[in-house]
Amino acid sequence: MTSNPTDEQAGMGSIQTVRGGTAVSIENVSKWYGNFQVLRDVNLHVATGERIVVCGPSGSGKSTLIRCVNQLEKHQRGRIVVNGTELRPGTKGLPAIRREVGMVFQQFNLFPHLNVIDNCTLALVRARKLARNAAEAVAMENLTRVRIPEQAKKFPAQLSGGQQQRVAIARALCMKPKIMLFDEPTSALDPEMIKEVLDVMTRLADEGMTMICVTHEMGFAREVADRVIFMDGGEIVEQANPAEFFSNPVQVRTRQFLSQLLH
Amino acid sequence: MSFDFAFALKIVPRVLEGIGNTLVVAILSFMGASALGFLWEIARRSNRHVRPVMQFVVDAIRSTPVLAQLYFLFYVLPYYGVVLPALVVGVFGLSFYYSGYLSEVFKAGIDLVPRGQGEAAQSLGLSRIHTVIFVIAPQMLRNVAAPLGAYSVSILKATPYLAVLAVPEMLGSAFDVASETYRYAEPMFVAGILFLCLALIAVTLVNWLERYLGVTTPPH
Ligand SMILES: Nc1ncnc2c1ncn2[C@@H]1O[C@H](COP(=O)(O)OP(=O)(O)O)[C@@H](O)[C@H]1O
Ligand SMILES: [Mg+2]
Repeated sequence: MTSNPTDEQAGMGSIQTVRGGTAVSIENVSKWYGNFQVLRDVNLHVATGERIVVCGPSGSGKSTLIRCVNQLEKHQRGRIVVNGTELRPGTKGLPAIRREVGMVFQQFNLFPHLNVIDNCTLALVRARKLARNAAEAVAMENLTRVRIPEQAKKFPAQLSGGQQQRVAIARALCMKPKIMLFDEPTSALDPEMIKEVLDVMTRLADEGMTMICVTHEMGFAREVADRVIFMDGGEIVEQANPAEFFSNPVQVRTRQFLSQLLH
Repeated sequence: MSFDFAFALKIVPRVLEGIGNTLVVAILSFMGASALGFLWEIARRSNRHVRPVMQFVVDAIRSTPVLAQLYFLFYVLPYYGVVLPALVVGVFGLSFYYSGYLSEVFKAGIDLVPRGQGEAAQSLGLSRIHTVIFVIAPQMLRNVAAPLGAYSVSILKATPYLAVLAVPEMLGSAFDVASETYRYAEPMFVAGILFLCLALIAVTLVNWLERYLGVTTPPH
């Protein structure tokens, strides 16, 4: 286990030496929807191989923050650098950058008109220009990784929520991303299906994937996260390694949030 | 002058002479209107500066009589050196006019596709055009099958407008018979029945398409 000091700068230094390289740099990022400021001067540096869990009350800007990382939302101020490329409003080759960043959504967002294997191969064939055979081999490999290879010919509507979310993870992994973003991947699931998805995510973390996970699964955060980020009102209020975050939260807002979550 | 069934039957082959043009014009115009309408809608969504321009174009297309558009194309284009066969002008005119309506159909159809679908495609690194072709359009098609079917019948019924360009079609054939025989009831009746048959065929095709696309309940 890594233990990151609460101090962000010190934490960065130690992570960088251990893991080598910064996967995502978010510097002084702000964003507005009209007059409403949804992100307030956010700073976050994610080292290669680091596992970040982001939590916070609904509406605090968690989704907006991670959606800025693959530019599904555009930030208006500050700098975001992903895998060494700065994302600006006019950045060329956004699709190429996005291929390196996998995203898993709360609502799965599988393509309903395509079966499981075609969901996985679409971007491989069209964006990565792989031959269909090669793409299907990659797809089967990743469906096996999420333990669902036998459903390859089914359509999304024929699968349970947990199965759909695992397919969505496999679909993202097919692109061989360097970073994975998860936006409340288990929030839309029936309780009995949460574990199968978290298990897949835990294994991914064990394999060394750089991950930013928005989730309120605190068991997962304790077990997997290198760092837990708490957001409220569009800003990062507190961040610490899980042991410290859960046992010794500094900020009042963090304590309030955690006590609500645990009761 | 009473309605003469025997006469009506006898003139069916004469009226049918125009059916070829009617079908060609209706099918080509439907395809043209769909292609143009989809193009308008994609342009309208492409960026926020283009949107109001395209909205105006689409509204203008729909707010002008189709006859005015046809006359304009047929009589004004030659002034600028563009001389096209009447059939081509007719197909282009109907395509253009109905593209205004079909772009609204496509708009509604795309609006019904959940936002997350495009986002998922983009997050996989698919380009915009691939996202439209492989993710949005197939899902949109399920939503628009029924209204597209209705417009295919509208376009079919609009083909007689091409009479103003002297394009021979089914209603025109019926008129020819009428003016030769001074009997109007039977030729118009026969033409009406034949249009009805074509419309029924179109409706059947649409139903079949809907089943093929897996539309079981109307989308919300
Ligand atoms: N497209 C949008 N337009 C206007 N406001 C938005 C939009 N998307 C999100 N918001 C607002 O921004 C805030 C943060 O949203 P979000 O990032 O989704 O929060 P979280 O994921 O933490 O629940 C919320 O108050 C939400 O209402
Ligand atoms: Mg959210």
